[in-house]
Amino acid sequence: MKVGIDVGGTFTDFLATTGDGSTQVAKVLTTPADPAIGLLEGLRVLAAERGQSLADFAGTVRTIVHGTTVTTNVVLTGAGAKTGLLTTEGVRDALEMRRGVREEQYNNRFTNIPPLVPRYLRRPVRGRLDHAGVEVAPLVPEDVEAALDLFAAERVEAVAICFMNSFANPDHERRAAEIVRRRLPGAYLSVSTEVLPSIRFYPRISTAVLNAYVGPVLRRYLDSLIRRLREIGFGGVLLVMQSNGGVVSPESARDKAAVTLLSGPAAGPNAGLVFVGSHGLDHCITVDMGGTSFDAALVRDGQPLLVTEGQVNRNALALPMLDIVTIGAGGGSIGRIDEGGLLRVGPQSAGADPGPACYGRGGRAPTVTDADLVLGRLDPDFFAGGRIPLDLDAARRAIEERVAKPLGLPVVAAAAGMVRVVDANMAAGVREITIRRGFDPREFPMVVAGGAGPNHACAIAAELGLPLFLVPRESSIFCAAGMLMTDLKHDFVRSMVGRLAEIPRETLLGAIEELAERGRRVLSSENVPADRITILAEAELRYVRQYHEVCLPLHPLEDLPKRFHAEHSRLYGYSLEEEGTPLEIINLRVRATGGMDKPAFPSEERVGPDPSAARKGARPVFVPEAKDYAEVAVFDGHGLRHGNRIAGPAIIEQRNTTLFVSASYETVVDSAGSFVVFDRARPDALPRTLKEVLR
Amino acid sequence: MIDPILSSVFARAFKSITDEMSISLQRTTRSPILCEAKDFVTGLYDAEGRMLEQTENLPILSFSLAPVCRYIRRYFGDDLHEGDVIFHNDVFSLGNQLNDVAVYRPIFFQGHLVGWSAAKGHQADIGGAVQGGYNPDATECWQEGIRIPPVKVVDGGRPRRDVWDLIFANIRLDIVREDMKAEMGSCVVGERRLLALLRKYGLARFTEVKQHLFESTRRMMEAEIRTIPEGTWPGEAKVYYDGRHKGSTFTIRVKITVRDGRIRFDYTDTDPQTKGFVNGTYTSSASATILTFLQMVNPDIPHNEGMVEPIEIVIPEGTILNAAYPAATTFGNHLCPPNADAIIRALAPVIPDRVTAGWNQLLCALTTGVDSRRREKYVDIGFMGLKGGSGAMKGTDGYDHIGMIDASGGVLDQDYEMFEQQTPHRLVKHEYLADSAGPGQWRGGLGVETRYVIGSDDTTVVAFGDGDVEPAFGLAGGGSGSLNGIELRLPDGTERRLASKDLVRGVPAGTLYVQRAGGGGGYGDPRSRPRAKVREEVRDGVISPEAARDLYGLGED
Repeated sequence: MKVGIDVGGTFTDFLATTGDGSTQVAKVLTTPADPAIGLLEGLRVLAAERGQSLADFAGTVRTIVHGTTVTTNVVLTGAGAKTGLLTTEGVRDALEMRRGVREEQYNNRFTNIPPLVPRYLRRPVRGRLDHAGVEVAPLVPEDVEAALDLFAAERVEAVAICFMNSFANPDHERRAAEIVRRRLPGAYLSVSTEVLPSIRFYPRISTAVLNAYVGPVLRRYLDSLIRRLREIGFGGVLLVMQSNGGVVSPESARDKAAVTLLSGPAAGPNAGLVFVGSHGLDHCITVDMGGTSFDAALVRDGQPLLVTEGQVNRNALALPMLDIVTIGAGGGSIGRIDEGGLLRVGPQSAGADPGPACYGRGGRAPTVTDADLVLGRLDPDFFAGGRIPLDLDAARRAIEERVAKPLGLPVVAAAAGMVRVVDANMAAGVREITIRRGFDPREFPMVVAGGAGPNHACAIAAELGLPLFLVPRESSIFCAAGMLMTDLKHDFVRSMVGRLAEIPRETLLGAIEELAERGRRVLSSENVPADRITILAEAELRYVRQYHEVCLPLHPLEDLPKRFHAEHSRLYGYSLEEEGTPLEIINLRVRATGGMDKPAFPSEERVGPDPSAARKGARPVFVPEAKDYAEVAVFDGHGLRHGNRIAGPAIIEQRNTTLFVSASYETVVDSAGSFVVFDRARPDALPRTLKEVLR
Repeated sequence: MIDPILSSVFARAFKSITDEMSISLQRTTRSPILCEAKDFVTGLYDAEGRMLEQTENLPILSFSLAPVCRYIRRYFGDDLHEGDVIFHNDVFSLGNQLNDVAVYRPIFFQGHLVGWSAAKGHQADIGGAVQGGYNPDATECWQEGIRIPPVKVVDGGRPRRDVWDLIFANIRLDIVREDMKAEMGSCVVGERRLLALLRKYGLARFTEVKQHLFESTRRMMEAEIRTIPEGTWPGEAKVYYDGRHKGSTFTIRVKITVRDGRIRFDYTDTDPQTKGFVNGTYTSSASATILTFLQMVNPDIPHNEGMVEPIEIVIPEGTILNAAYPAATTFGNHLCPPNADAIIRALAPVIPDRVTAGWNQLLCALTTGVDSRRREKYVDIGFMGLKGGSGAMKGTDGYDHIGMIDASGGVLDQDYEMFEQQTPHRLVKHEYLADSAGPGQWRGGLGVETRYVIGSDDTTVVAFGDGDVEPAFGLAGGGSGSLNGIELRLPDGTERRLASKDLVRGVPAGTLYVQRAGGGGGYGDPRSRPRAKVREEVRDGVISPEAARDLYGLGED
C-alpha cells in the first residue's frame, strides 16, 4: 500500500493505492495549527472505509509520499517565523536591496517587497574572509552574542547566518552556528553554506533566509507528524515532495525546509501528463485551485518546465525547481473593497480556520466559496460529501456587509463580481505560464485540479479562449495522485573546478562513482531494489572566463566537448569550437532515481451518451452567459460512465468537488473516467480519441 | 478580422523572444558589466526597422536601435543578405556611446527580408586614451575610442577575418571579442525564434497582426497623451561642470507641447555643446526623453513602434544634447538625469499626481588596472555604489537604491562575491544611507554608502556624473534628497575628494574608496507622514531620531 498525501492551505487530500491497481480517496480539512492532526484524521477515514483499525491499516502502508503547501503559503501570506539574520558587517541590507532591482522599470507605483527580516533584526558581525576563503579578520564572537541577546529579547524563532565568501570557507559560519545552538537551542538555524554552498551572495543570503523563515513551521509540522505516525504503528518510509519534482527523507527536508517551497504543486505536472497521456498527448497546462492558492504549470514534450534561478514572491530562491506560477487565489480567498473603492479578491485567505463565512466556524470575511454558494454552484448539504454543512445565510451576510453594501450592489451581483475577479486573476496566472513564455495556451489541453478548480474552469477557459479542458475524476486529490507517479530522486553535487582537458579521466569517474554510491545507499535504505536504480551523471561546463554554466550528461565522456559546443550553440546561438577556447568544469552532479510502481488506471467500458441515470435533480444556479439564475440539472459525478455526454449549463457533483459546466460548454466522460469539457463551437479541438466517442 | 488572442500571443511571443535573447547574452558574456549588471538591451524589429519588442535592461540604450536599423538599411541598400552580421557604435550615425557596440542581424524568410534582431551592450573597452573608455580630457571623438560605422563582420554567412582583426586590433581587452560573439549569438537566438513563429503562422498573418499591434499601441499612447491638458509647458535643469572648467554650468531647456493626442519635446533653447566630453548624441538624448515620459503613462503599454509614434522630439545639432561632429560625447548617456528633471519640472504643475519628485542623479566611478592576483587587466563600473533613491510621488514612497532614472532599476548591483572575484578590491560596506531620503508625506528613496579597499597598486579611478552640487528636488512640500560624493582615503592618510568628472591615476593598494549616492526627493509635507511609519524607520536606523524630530515632527503630537 502506498499513500499520497497533499497538505494544502485548506484541505488535505489522500490517494491510497494497492498493488492490484485499486485506489481509495479521502479529503479532510487541513488543521493549520498542526497539519499532522488533519493528516491522521485522513488516515483514519481511509482505514474506516476499509473496515480496518487505524493500527492495522498503518501497518500495511509501506510508503507515504507527502507534499505540503505549508511553506509556500507561509511566504505568500507573510506568516513566517520571526527571523533574525547574522551577516557580515557592512552588508546587512543586501537581503532587502535585492541588488537594486525594480521589476517594473516604467512603473513608479511599483514598490519593493517588505524584507523577510526587518532591518533591526539584521545584525552585523565582524570577521572577514577574502574571495578565496582566507581569513582577513577573525570572527568576533561578541558580535554574535550581542545579536543573540537582541534575538532572545525579541523572541526570534529562527536564525539565518550568511557571511561574505563563506562558499569558499564555511568556518566562520560554523563557529557562529555553534554559538547560536548554545544560546538559542530552540531556534531554527539556517546556515547559508549548508543550504546552498555556492558563490553569489544575494541568492545565497535570500535562500538561507527563506529557509529560516519557513523552517520552524515545517519543523513543528514534520516532528509532530513523525511522532504521530510512529504512535499509530506506521513503520514504512515517509517521503517528502521537493520543489524539483522528486522526493526526500523528512530528515533532510526538516534541515533544508526551502526545498519544499513548491512541494505541493511539484507533483501536479506529473499527474497532468498521466491524464492527457490516455489521449496520446504529451503536453498540457495544469492548474490547481485549492482553498488558498492557485498553481499553474506547463508540460511540453513530456517534460515539466524547470527553473534553477527561481523566486518565491520576488525573493530569490536558488534551488532547482519546477516552473510553477502561484497566485493567492482559492476558495478561501477573501473579497474586500480597497482604498480606491475597487473590489479585490485575495491573496488573503480565510484558510481552513476560521474558513469561509459559510463554514460557520466564526469566519466573517466573504470568500470565493461563499460567493459560489450564493450563486448556487455549491450545494449547502453536499459540500465535502455532506461532511461540512454550509450556511447560506452566513455567506449572504458576509458578502452583503463587506462587498455588496460598500459597492451599492445587490448581493448576487456582488457574488458574481467576486467570482469574475478571482477568475480573471487565475486566467492571468495561466497567461503567465504560457503566453508570457511564448506559448499559445489554446494549443494545450488544460488539466484542472483542486477542490475549487472545476467550479471555475469554464470561466478561465472562456477568458483565454481555450477550447478544451479535462477534469480528472479525482481532480481534488490531483497532486496526491501525482506524488504516486513520482520517482524517488536524490540529487548530489560536488564542485570540481578545473579545465576539462586537464582533469584525469579516473578523477572524474571516481568522483562520480562516490556520489553514485551515496545515491544507491540512500535508495536502498528506502527499499528500492538494485535493479530499479538508475544513475544519471552530469557535468556543469562553461568556456573559460564565462560566469554561467551549461549542464550536460557526463557520458559518453569522449564526446563531451563536442556535445558542449553543440548545446551552447543550440541555447545561445554560437559556439567557440573553432577558436579552440578551453572548457572549464565547475560542478559534477548525480541524480539517483529509484523507480516506483505507478498505480494503474483501469480503462472503463464505454456505454451510451445518455447520462440520465446519474441525474440527481435540478436547482437554481447563476449562469454567467444569461447573467441570471436558471434551473440547472445536477448530476452525480460518481454515477457517470465512459461515453456519457452532458450539455451545459450543468452541475456535476462529486464528493470532493463540483464541476460547473457553463452554457456554452459540453462535457463527455473519457475512458479513464475524466470529464472532458469542450467549447460547443469548437468540437474540432477534441483529441482524436474523443472524436470517436462523439461520433 | 484580427484575432485578439492571437495579437496578444504575438505580442507576448515577441517579448519572450527578446527576453530569451537577453538571457542568452547574460549567460554567455564575460564582462561583469554585461553578465552581472545587465548593461545591455536586446530587440526585435520588422523589415522597415520598426520596433516589435525590446528587453530594456538599460532603457537609455533602447530607443536608438530602431533608428540605426533604418540607417543600416539605407546604408547597405540592396546589399543585405541572409547570414549578414553588422556591427555599429558610431555616435555620428545614431549611436549612444562608443562603448555601446551593437550587433544587427537581418532576418530573411522565404527569400525576403522580414525583420532584424539586434543586441547592444556596454563593452568593457573600446580603445581610445583610457582603458574602459571614459576620458574626461577628451575634446574629440577619436580620443574616446574606435568609431564603427555600420560594417559587416560576417557577409552572407562568411566571416570577414580582415575586418574583424581591424576592429579588435584597436581594443585593449580580449574579453570584448568574446562578448561581441555573445551579442552575435543572442541575435541568432532571436532569428531562430522569429523564424519559428513565421513558419507557424505565415508571413501574411505576421504582417497583419504586427500592423494591428502598432495601431492599437499607438491608439493607447494617444489616449494617454489626451489625459494631459493641452498647451505648451516649459521646464529646465542644470548640468554642472564639463570636466574642464571648474564651476561651469549649462542649461537644458525643454518646451513640451501637448496637442491632439501627440506630444512634442522641443529642446531648441538648450545651451550649446561643451568643449569636453559632456555632450549628448541625438539618440542618447531622445532615449532619455522617451524613457522619462514613459514613466508618466500607463506602464502596460506594449513597447513597439506604435508607442513612440505620437512622440516628436526636436534637438538641434550643436546643443549639449546633440553635439556636432567631431565632439567628444562619452558622457552623453549621463545627461539623462538632468534631462529628466527638466521634463518633470515642466509637467509637475500639469499632472501633479503622475510625476515623481527628483531622482538621485548618477555619480559613478569606474576602476581599472591590473588585478595583481592574476596579472590580468580588468574594468569595473561601480554599479552598486551609484544607485541612489528615486523621487517619491503622491501616494508612493520613492524606491530605495534603485539608481539613475535612465535604468530605473533595470541595472543591478554587482553581486558582492563576484565583485571580489573579478576585481582585486574588498568590499567594506554597502548599506542604506541614513537620512539620505528627501523627507515627505511620501519620502524619497534611500541612497547608499559604499566603501571598499582598493587591492592593486597603480589603479585608475575615473568618476563621471552629477548630483554633487544640486540634490534631488522635492515636490508639494517634500524635501530634497542628499548629495552625491566620492572620496579616496589614501594609505598615507591624505584624502582626495573627486570632482564629478575626474580621472585619478596611480591610486595605491590599500586606499579606501568611499562613495555616497544620495536619496530621491520627497513628496508632500513630512509632518503628514504616518507616525507609526516614521517610528519604524527610526527603529530600523534609516531615519535618525534628530531628523524624525526636526523634519517629521515626531514627538510633537
